[in-house]
Amino acid sequence: MKRHISLLLALLTAASMILSACAGSAAPAVPAGEAAASSEGGSGAELVWWGWTPGSPLNEQYIAEFNKEFPDTKITWKQTTVDDYDAAIKPALANGEGVDIFEVSAGSANGGVGIFGGQAVNMEDALKGYLGDDYADKLNEASIASMTVDGELKALGVGTVYAGNLWINQDLFDKYNVKVPTNFDEWKAACDTFKENGIIGFVQGAGQGAFNMDTYHAICDNIQPGLFTKATRGEAEWTDPVFVQALDLWKKLFDEGIMQDGALGIQQYPEANNMFLSGQAAMVMMGSWYTMNCLPDTMRANMEAASSTDEPFAMVPINFPDIAGTGNTGYVFCDIDYATAVSTNASDVKAATDFALWLGASEAGQQMIADSLNLVPVLKSVSPNWDKVVLTNPEKQNKPVQEYLTNAMANPDNPRFGGISADLNQAMMDVLAGVASGTLSSADGAARLAEVE
Amino acid sequence: MARGPHLPSRMCGMEEGAAYGRSGDYMNKKLAIRNNGMVWIIPAFLFLLIIIYYSIIYTFNLSTMDWDGLSPTMKKVGLDNYSKMFADKVFWKAIKNTVVYFAITFVVQNLLGFVFAAILHSEVKLPTVHKCIIFIPTILAPATMAPVFRLMFSPQGMLQHFMDFAHIPITVDWLSRPQTALYVLMAIVVWEFTGMSFILYYAAMSQIDKEMLEAAQIDGAGNIRTLITMVFPLCKGTTVSLAMLGVIGALKTFDIPYLITTGGPDHATEFLGTYIYRQGIRQSHLGYAAALSVMLLVMAVVGAFLTNKANKEGG
Repeated sequence: MKRHISLLLALLTAASMILSACAGSAAPAVPAGEAAASSEGGSGAELVWWGWTPGSPLNEQYIAEFNKEFPDTKITWKQTTVDDYDAAIKPALANGEGVDIFEVSAGSANGGVGIFGGQAVNMEDALKGYLGDDYADKLNEASIASMTVDGELKALGVGTVYAGNLWINQDLFDKYNVKVPTNFDEWKAACDTFKENGIIGFVQGAGQGAFNMDTYHAICDNIQPGLFTKATRGEAEWTDPVFVQALDLWKKLFDEGIMQDGALGIQQYPEANNMFLSGQAAMVMMGSWYTMNCLPDTMRANMEAASSTDEPFAMVPINFPDIAGTGNTGYVFCDIDYATAVSTNASDVKAATDFALWLGASEAGQQMIADSLNLVPVLKSVSPNWDKVVLTNPEKQNKPVQEYLTNAMANPDNPRFGGISADLNQAMMDVLAGVASGTLSSADGAARLAEVE
Repeated sequence: MARGPHLPSRMCGMEEGAAYGRSGDYMNKKLAIRNNGMVWIIPAFLFLLIIIYYSIIYTFNLSTMDWDGLSPTMKKVGLDNYSKMFADKVFWKAIKNTVVYFAITFVVQNLLGFVFAAILHSEVKLPTVHKCIIFIPTILAPATMAPVFRLMFSPQGMLQHFMDFAHIPITVDWLSRPQTALYVLMAIVVWEFTGMSFILYYAAMSQIDKEMLEAAQIDGAGNIRTLITMVFPLCKGTTVSLAMLGVIGALKTFDIPYLITTGGPDHATEFLGTYIYRQGIRQSHLGYAAALSVMLLVMAVVGAFLTNKANKEGG
């Protein structure tokens, strides 16, 4: 019997040793500095670019344009859904192979640079070499600030997104002669009119928490601009009466019928998005990424995805209505939508860095970003070429869209998710759902936010 | 203990082997190991060791750490993650949801499966069509059905259109209400997995000796009584298997609540599986997620043990 036990122990020990040897190490295989120094950057590099946005075929178009300057670098775009990105990229990066370039975002959004930046090389020297010592002056402030972790620039921002505004179907407003809402009463009146005509006034997929946070942030900025951002930085208390009042107003949107019935049971994507694009709803809470739907071809494709065969309509951005009655309107908040990071384990760090620089800092790459209207470019010298960019209904859309983008870019420092930790993000989503569904009071909700470390 | 192939008795046992001298000792030791079955279970044992036991030990070790999943350093926190878990309201909500979910889905699903199986063992027309209709939901992927259900149970969906058409004054916003969302998910699960209960009960009923049932009927038992007092007890093994699968299935429930409600609203449909994912992936608390996983494992083992014990005690 003893011999059998000895044999078993020997087997266990051997197996454990083998497994320990096979197990992936938590530490990156090559420190950032060494990786950059050892990069070859030779021709014929084959790279894999992981990300979730903007999605095929745009990413392939960026690669094709990049290949006009760098024909020897082959890049393969590997896309996951937004929700699956963290789950997919984490083991891929830990494994150390198969990821050369990857997308990250600010703060607690998916692909947060705070989590994944540890696997990325410091790009500051490369950017300095590309744009000069005054590189920070040439780029959107957020593209540097929100991508800097522990003093190292871990990724290059590609474009910014702004949120805090509504998009409306102007054709429906014109058809039913509805006044564009500027305050709570007008917003409610507009929703009632649309409801009488069998159309959802305002639609929100409140089952998807990130968009609830946008609405809540907009309400907070409506009451007292900037306080939300201060609270995320620990410079204000979440128990401040402003946040309690904002939760009351958030609840009022549900109680007074501005939020559509059953809002907490559906997602912003695909349901709310589909309802707006198919003309079933007249207003939706979306940000600057929705501007691309002003392009007829893009909108037609997205409408088809929403099971609509109608012709594209004129959608325009409007300010979040002044529901607090303070007169504080027109505030938006922004983040880098995504940035390009180069893995410390990239097969060719130099070639991967070339691509990140081209996409985030070159005139050619940034002009493509600008003209797609998907994002606002981070390179300040670039803006959409309005002579080439033709909107669905230029008469109705040109002025409000251009004003919206100009106003958004001029807004002060007001991050969207950039300053929100993953724990605060979850707590806020829970609180907003709890208050909306009536299981939590506004005061208790604010207290719960304050409990987050 | 697994047994090796039968060997001639003269080749086994130390007493006989001792007569063979030094080379005989060696042979006897070798044969003793072989006779014990060790050699035969090693491939499967190694497989289990690598896939299951190593993962369990690794997860337990991880549960004593504070780690985000990528950072080069892990911070040892002892049993802090377990203390945090027992004080976590969402954890207890997930446990409560799991218990309610199991109790209701197990009863309804198996009752329906049993009834359908009994009906289809009688002389119904087009039995194959009925079997297909009952079983098809089981093979549909939850990922493809989730958007359908989200829309169906929304005020803009098909069910609401039906209510409006029938002038029934009900707003179908059940998924958006914490009080009702869990029951909608249970209805979806019952719809999806009744086919599995049905197929197992159907197979079990096929094994029952028809003469026993005929004898019961000759003694005056009606159809319902035969079903309750004869058929159901004879399908006990199937019921126990379904209970065991149900306990484990309820504990690892993930896809349907995650895809339809993402555990909301306000954690009303949170299960251990969705909470582990939320903590481990969304919030990068790998250590805490590991502690939750260890608790899930303990509960699954205890649940399976109790189900098995109840079965044995019940004869």
